[in-house]
Amino acid sequence: MGRRVVITACSAITPIGRSREEILHNLNHGVSGVKVLREDDVLTRYIHSKVFGTVDYTIAYDFKRQHRKTMGPVAYYACQVAKEVLEAAGLDEAFITSGRLGVAFGSTHGSPTVQRGIYKTFFSGSRNGFSSIGAVDYLKSMVHTTAVNITKMFGITGRVISSCTACTTSSQSIGYGYEMVKYGMQDAMICGGADEYDTTTVAVFDNLLACSTAFNETPHLTPRPFDEKRDGLVVGEGAGAVLLEEYERARKRGATILAEVIGFSCNNNGGDLILPNIKGIAETMRLALQDARIPADAVDFISAHATGTRMGDVIEAQAIHAVYGNRPSVVGLKSYMGHTMGSCGAIETIIATYLMTEGYIVPTLNLEEVDERCAMIRHVQAIRDYPMRIAAIQNFAFGGVNTSLIIKKWQGH
Amino acid sequence: MTRAEIEAKILEFFRKEFEIDNPGMDDDLREAHGFDSIDAIELLLEIENILDSELTHEEKKRAMDIRTINQVLDYIVSLAEARQAGNRADQASAVKSR
Repeated sequence: MGRRVVITACSAITPIGRSREEILHNLNHGVSGVKVLREDDVLTRYIHSKVFGTVDYTIAYDFKRQHRKTMGPVAYYACQVAKEVLEAAGLDEAFITSGRLGVAFGSTHGSPTVQRGIYKTFFSGSRNGFSSIGAVDYLKSMVHTTAVNITKMFGITGRVISSCTACTTSSQSIGYGYEMVKYGMQDAMICGGADEYDTTTVAVFDNLLACSTAFNETPHLTPRPFDEKRDGLVVGEGAGAVLLEEYERARKRGATILAEVIGFSCNNNGGDLILPNIKGIAETMRLALQDARIPADAVDFISAHATGTRMGDVIEAQAIHAVYGNRPSVVGLKSYMGHTMGSCGAIETIIATYLMTEGYIVPTLNLEEVDERCAMIRHVQAIRDYPMRIAAIQNFAFGGVNTSLIIKKWQGH
Repeated sequence: MTRAEIEAKILEFFRKEFEIDNPGMDDDLREAHGFDSIDAIELLLEIENILDSELTHEEKKRAMDIRTINQVLDYIVSLAEARQAGNRADQASAVKSR
């Protein structure tokens, strides 16, 4: 048994908005954040999928130059949500710099925008090609750029974990942060992930025929998790951060507790790096239940990974059925915003917390006709009141990495 | 290039890239303006641009003791002079070998 771990603040940048109110409003009204893919003059002309989960609003950043100079777009996202989490939690300076607060934060591959600039310099043939690569380009584009820009900005001296496992990046951040606090290595962790606007990822999935291409003229109608007409995933951008704290510490300082993290698992399929694997993902669900010490029927709500691919959704539905039967309600939140990659696990955890607190559930957007191969689980096709105590957030990544996080509604001390 | 021209370029670079406006010529850049190791490396790249010539490792190491704008200017002027002297020597040996 370890210490109890609670979520005491959260913040998100998503294709469907920033604030809790805005995100809930868009979920309640079925508003999609999927838009037309912007031209990048490099890859877009070769990409068949013309849709993207887009953050198309301006964010008023207020970072000093000393911090800005090592930040690419992905670090701006990460530092903004981290800043908001620290502000919302009201942690004091002494604790932030004490070494007892750590950071678990990642992204799929640092900043592709900055990397693209480096490649352009390399291949420009310019005599000054080498020396014109800025010294800070590495700091802006390296894979742990989000985590260490956060530590730098706030003077955080605790542990740093920077997962870069694509779709499980931020679910791992939360999971490993939870374990850090649970087992006493740290007293609090800022956990999350971010990914900036990037067409490289779209090109990769497009080449694998995994991207949605049939709704280029009507972006809001895709992705369509579990729907008969689904035709692939939609890449997106965003960021999400949560503050995890040891329960007694949070209680003593009078923190507002949003939810409790009670279980986490991570495993690997142990083989193919691309194909979804029912044995592997069912096992990760079981391992999380074991960690949480709860039976499967204690889980009321499942935030499915549900990217909207033909095969992935079927395998996930079958795995959910094998572990949970058809009792918990299952929603694919990517239907509203596409697959925000390194940030999806954190964003989905945050939204699950919101819905749990509100006591209602929103439908999987665009789920009109359930594919009969996905029909054995309890889908949600209309908004309805739904008191829930326990939610599972599951994510699966290229590389065969699977995670499941289990959170519990906070019902007072 | 005169020292005054170099000064104008350096001050413009500090203003634009480092958001350091009109620093005192003998201010300790680290103490007074938060100039750090990352800025120092960026500045060296700009000096290469100003001189239109790459700096050797030895030359870059010499820069590590620089603390003020005046020292930056001294450094660039000395590098520029060394390059001019080098060019003159090259020309002389080219003439001799004819």
